Amino acid sequence: MRLTPRSERAIAWTLGCYAAAVVAFLMLSGLLVLSVGGSPQAAFSALLTGALGGKAAIGNTLAKATPLLLTGLAAAIAFRARIWSIGQEGQMVFGAITGYGAVLWLGLSGPAGIVVALVAGMMGGAALGLVSGVLDVRFKINVIISTVLLNYCVGYLLSWLLQPGVWGDVGQTVSYQQSAALADSLYLPLLPGLAKVHLGAVLALVLTVVVGVTLGRTRLGFEIRGFGLNPRAMVARGVDAGRLVLVVMAASGALAGLAGIGHVLGETHRLRPDALAGFGYTGIVVALIGRSSAPGTLAAALFFGGLAAGGLTMRVVADIPSSLVTAMQGIALIAFLLAEIASGYRLVLPVREEGTPA
Amino acid sequence: MKLLEVLGLSKRFGATVANDRLTFDVLKGELHCLFGENGAGKSTVSACLTGFHRPDSGAIVFDGREVEFATPAGALDAGIGICRQHFSLVERFSVLENILLGTERRSLRFDVGRARARFGELADRLGLAVDPDTPISRLSIGERQWVEILKALYRDVRLLILDEPTAVLTPAESRRLFDVVDRLRGDGLTVILISHKLAEVMAADRVTVLRRGRAVATVRPGEVTPAELTALMMGAEPPPATARAARTKGRLMLEVEDLAVPGPRHGFRLEGAPLRVHAGEVLGIAGVAGNGQRELFDALVGLAHPAAGRVTIDGRDMTYASPAERMRAGVGSIPEDRYGDALVGDFSIAENMALGWHRSARLGRAPFLSRRRMADFARTAIERFAIRQAGPATPARALSGGNAQRVVAAREIERARHLLVANQPTRGLDVGAVAFLYDRVVEAAERGAAVVLASEEAEDLLGLCDRIAVLFKGRVVGVVDASATSLAEIGAMMAGRPA
Amino acid sequence: MSDLFSATILTAVVIAALKMATPLLISAMGELVAQRAGIWNMAVEGTMLIAAYAAYVVVVLTQSPGLALAAAVLAALLTGAINGLLCVVLKLDQFVTGLALNLLAAGLTLFWFRAGLQGEGVPTFRSLSPIVEGPFAGLYPMMFVALLAVPLIWWFLERTRPGLELRCLGENPEALDLRGVDVRRGQILSLLFASAMTGLGGGFLMLAFSDRFVPDFTGGRGWLVVVAILAGNWRPGRVLVAVLFFALLEALAIQSRVGSSLLPEQLLLAAPYLLSLALMAVFRSTSLEPAALGIPYRRR
Repeated sequence: MRLTPRSERAIAWTLGCYAAAVVAFLMLSGLLVLSVGGSPQAAFSALLTGALGGKAAIGNTLAKATPLLLTGLAAAIAFRARIWSIGQEGQMVFGAITGYGAVLWLGLSGPAGIVVALVAGMMGGAALGLVSGVLDVRFKINVIISTVLLNYCVGYLLSWLLQPGVWGDVGQTVSYQQSAALADSLYLPLLPGLAKVHLGAVLALVLTVVVGVTLGRTRLGFEIRGFGLNPRAMVARGVDAGRLVLVVMAASGALAGLAGIGHVLGETHRLRPDALAGFGYTGIVVALIGRSSAPGTLAAALFFGGLAAGGLTMRVVADIPSSLVTAMQGIALIAFLLAEIASGYRLVLPVREEGTPA
Repeated sequence: MKLLEVLGLSKRFGATVANDRLTFDVLKGELHCLFGENGAGKSTVSACLTGFHRPDSGAIVFDGREVEFATPAGALDAGIGICRQHFSLVERFSVLENILLGTERRSLRFDVGRARARFGELADRLGLAVDPDTPISRLSIGERQWVEILKALYRDVRLLILDEPTAVLTPAESRRLFDVVDRLRGDGLTVILISHKLAEVMAADRVTVLRRGRAVATVRPGEVTPAELTALMMGAEPPPATARAARTKGRLMLEVEDLAVPGPRHGFRLEGAPLRVHAGEVLGIAGVAGNGQRELFDALVGLAHPAAGRVTIDGRDMTYASPAERMRAGVGSIPEDRYGDALVGDFSIAENMALGWHRSARLGRAPFLSRRRMADFARTAIERFAIRQAGPATPARALSGGNAQRVVAAREIERARHLLVANQPTRGLDVGAVAFLYDRVVEAAERGAAVVLASEEAEDLLGLCDRIAVLFKGRVVGVVDASATSLAEIGAMMAGRPA
Repeated sequence: MSDLFSATILTAVVIAALKMATPLLISAMGELVAQRAGIWNMAVEGTMLIAAYAAYVVVVLTQSPGLALAAAVLAALLTGAINGLLCVVLKLDQFVTGLALNLLAAGLTLFWFRAGLQGEGVPTFRSLSPIVEGPFAGLYPMMFVALLAVPLIWWFLERTRPGLELRCLGENPEALDLRGVDVRRGQILSLLFASAMTGLGGGFLMLAFSDRFVPDFTGGRGWLVVVAILAGNWRPGRVLVAVLFFALLEALAIQSRVGSSLLPEQLLLAAPYLLSLALMAVFRSTSLEPAALGIPYRRR
């Protein structure tokens, strides 16, 4: 029995691979729950309830999915061009910083303040993305390295900003820093009927459509897709590789920046180091599982949003730490990658033909 | 006494048959030449002989025993070594390190003293003065060839396969190589020489001519003329009857002067008379691939930065113009590596047709790209270029070689208002596809484009072109009028004999 | 500021720097081997984290730092084996594999850590202790291991037969394949070695620096290792210099938190990252990056 690469994908085999991945995912997650003495059944049912059980739960899911959708889109457009930017985490935080800072500095409030904050956040994220882009195009520094390093730098920047002398809130403790709260008028409005879901979700959905249309129906999207599949042919037919990298990094950064400032305006209403943590890296998982397409990213973001929402319920009801969800993300990703690879192979069984020696 | 017998060796890669029931033998101590064009199967049979590939069927009998090599190590242990055409040297390592790579596998450290002594001995025997500690990156190409040979000799091989060894050597170096080979044969070495050069072939003891994966004949050079050998290699089929109708020559479209383009092997260098091609004219570039066609092509298309010289297209200096500028100026190009440089395998035919056209108004209003217009564009091309059993949505990697090339040709010929540049466009295509492609090229010329077409198939060029320039080792050996030359003359020039 | 230049403070900073350099250096020597063999091992951060966590769990259970170190290495080897399967055998993109493993490691350690704290206090354990008396007081035996690793790795790479073959894996694996040497085996072994070294580094990090585990314990040190390799231009000696430089900066940062200092603590902490970027931008010309780094080998 051997595995050989197959020349073209067969639908049945591919679906089978992904189905196997889902099964493996559930089984491994269940094993994890068992390893800490919990009950997989209780855990999974709590997850489901927390994610989909009723309007409040769905609201939670959507709210948790919003930043993931944006960072997922940010990662997706970069990955589509085979630019392995993993700077969404840093670009997101930097966007939150620039958005918050702009409003603070300009002393704005109300809808104008919201708009300025959002735009400034996007521009901040874009700027950070461009830094990595320039480092790549001009100095040939690996994008992965530069984005990761900048992630950490932004983390330190935030830590410095949240000191008592700068943006730190009055009366905060040493171990828990946060900035002063934003005025009520700078809160992103909540959507009627769905508690906890703010305007950011609508923005995210709109941008999903924008990204989808851009990738599928515009010249830029064509270049991005082609460049990711065969950069040599694209350059041979006139595409400016350097320009494309910069455009993609700026757009990616802008989306991540919006995730950051959107979350601040919509949910936390202040800068806190822990509130945004992880959305960037989860966005990478979302993009990879969504195969870097707009609809796929949306589906994956909803899935992980559901997991996150369910995680809270799971902690309360089944007494399992909600960080199971973080571990499940990693398992989901690996299972998915294996399914991807497996669907490109075929199982060859030894066949004895009549009359020929085996 | 036969040292090697190849019996009915067959090997295929996917749909391509590289070796087809190949049978020949090599006598002990002889210089046996495998003669054939690129794609005739020479590299594959040597890969099978050295354990790099496993033959699908057939047998290899070495020194009286049937052998099967699971890995290249097995072949080396048995005493078969090879100097490949594309060197397998590590640039950063020194000469000695390259030679020692893969040896002394049971020890932790190399016996450097003994290795140096042995190296010195071999180098003396070959009359070489190479410092064993020089990194390969600092050696000239000719010197690297010597290192390749030393590598094999260091292993005490009994049968040495030399794959196009003089492709990168000067005539003086080539002579020395053969002197050395003679000396080594005197010491008992048997040599298989893979070559397409007539001069070398005629100096061998026996020649096996390969064509399309089969051994066509095994002869003694003394018993045949060079012309007969060339005929055996190229086949006696008549060239396709692409009518070279009288075309009116229009204005000067392309002029290449004093061009120097660096490259990994020869690069391309034009000295003396400039190359000129007028609208309606077809200039053929004959020569075995690897003699500078790639560099010339890249300079014409905008993918290489010439070190010197000038390329003028339709009156404009485009020496350093980008591919995008040249495309806008009406230059179409069909590159050698269609899936590497011309097509995106996972894109559909419609998307591939849009490559290079995607920013033009004909496929949509900025910033959009209209799928409908792309599909229409593709359908027109599919019809005009007879792309069978495929639609605009078919992914390019699912196409046959012929169909894939038709997509590229359709796109580029459409673009080539003024100049069409093609590098080995008919490689891997069947006769029907070849003829169809040439008809379309002729059409483009009749429409007023200048055409520069490089091909290894000299007889194709004879039927198609007005003039033919022959490349050898990066230089233009001669430019001849197609109607006034012969296959033998071109073949001789391709093999290094000036007109 | 003047107190920084007093002899005791300086000595303390240097020793702290050496201590901080130790896990980085051990891991870097392993990673160097993997990269010279052509594998971008991006999972250093995740491997180190899992190793640190494994060390933590074992030392809490057994109170034996020795067993804990062994556990760290084992956990890292397991991660390396998975990495090798994905990267070398299945030829998955090396960047994506590394990222996936990092995420998985972060998720698993976070989950198990939270699940393990069932309402009790944080367990403490017997950490590794430095040498108490004599001229080497305050130093850890592992520091010498780390420093010794540098010339050893250099000797292995440059002066032995397997070292030559390993370097060839990263420069031109086809040259080895043509001579019948197993490319896959060599790359997997290199990756396993790198993982084991990172495991050792992660274990030391856990046992010598802290008395408890926290989520994201490694805090980007794994990435600093990768950066050190780039900054050191893939040469053992220069990687040592890069690592010492990073460690010194971190030691200064910690010192500045305790004493007074001109520069904000965060800037000093961010300095290794920023300076690396700047240096990489400036010193790009003579890169000694292995020619085949990151390219899964496929026989043509």
